[in-house]
Amino acid sequence: MNFINSLIPSLSRDPVVSHGHRDEALGPTLQPRYEIKETEDAFGLSVDLPGVTKKDLEITAEAESLRIVGRRSWSRPEGWTVSYRETSDETYLLELDHDNTVNADKIHAELSDGVLRLSLPKAEAIKPRRIEVA
Amino acid sequence: MRYIRYNYPTRQSLPVAAFGRGAWNGLDSEINRLFNAALAGTTRAPNGSRFPVDVYQDENSLHVRAELPGFKRDTIKVEVVNGYLTLEASRERPDEKAPRAATFNRSIALPDDVKADGVSAAYVDGILSVTLPKKEEAKPRKISVAVK
Repeated sequence: MNFINSLIPSLSRDPVVSHGHRDEALGPTLQPRYEIKETEDAFGLSVDLPGVTKKDLEITAEAESLRIVGRRSWSRPEGWTVSYRETSDETYLLELDHDNTVNADKIHAELSDGVLRLSLPKAEAIKPRRIEVA
Repeated sequence: MRYIRYNYPTRQSLPVAAFGRGAWNGLDSEINRLFNAALAGTTRAPNGSRFPVDVYQDENSLHVRAELPGFKRDTIKVEVVNGYLTLEASRERPDEKAPRAATFNRSIALPDDVKADGVSAAYVDGILSVTLPKKEEAKPRKISVAVK
């Protein structure tokens, strides 16, 4: 990839860390596993955020993007030593562009058992419209 | 204790976002994906139906924490058999379009100083935590000797 980047510099403009975006304020982050389903009038987004409670979750909807930040609520109690680790303590960060296809005022979010489910109603402008012939 | 390591799925193995992708940023990640696919060797063990676990210890117990988001409590099984801790969780088909039901499991060899009884487990915020008490003789002992 470095070779290609040197040929076409614009390709390297988005320095994506292998497993997440980089954000100065958050430190190293991890992109959570997510899934998007589409129905006629909404997008359904589910994000796996194990270990994140409601108060450590931050969802920001902007005109063109959606940003989900989930901080880990649990920290290792004193006196516990690590024998083996596979999970990380990195903050979850997921940024998705929706280019105004979503009605940001009507987003509905629900967090249960470490899964965040978001319902993103489509903006009126992109819904299919039936036009009656006069 | 020996483990076969769990690796987090990388971008190339995650489903591609359905919305709002410009042609250019598609090319960007497509090239990455091609390179990663070509360079992916045998170094990463496939995860299959496994999930990541952490193991901690303190004076009295061994603590196992597993990331299992989105399961119902009654579909999670925790068993200790012959020195192995087995964690299993299953998911039914949420709807007709979804892929078939899936079962995830993970076994961990337990050290000798752990008792098979008195194990407790809790499932909170998508994290399954299991506490296994250590045998009395394995706990650090403090012996005060009276000096005459």
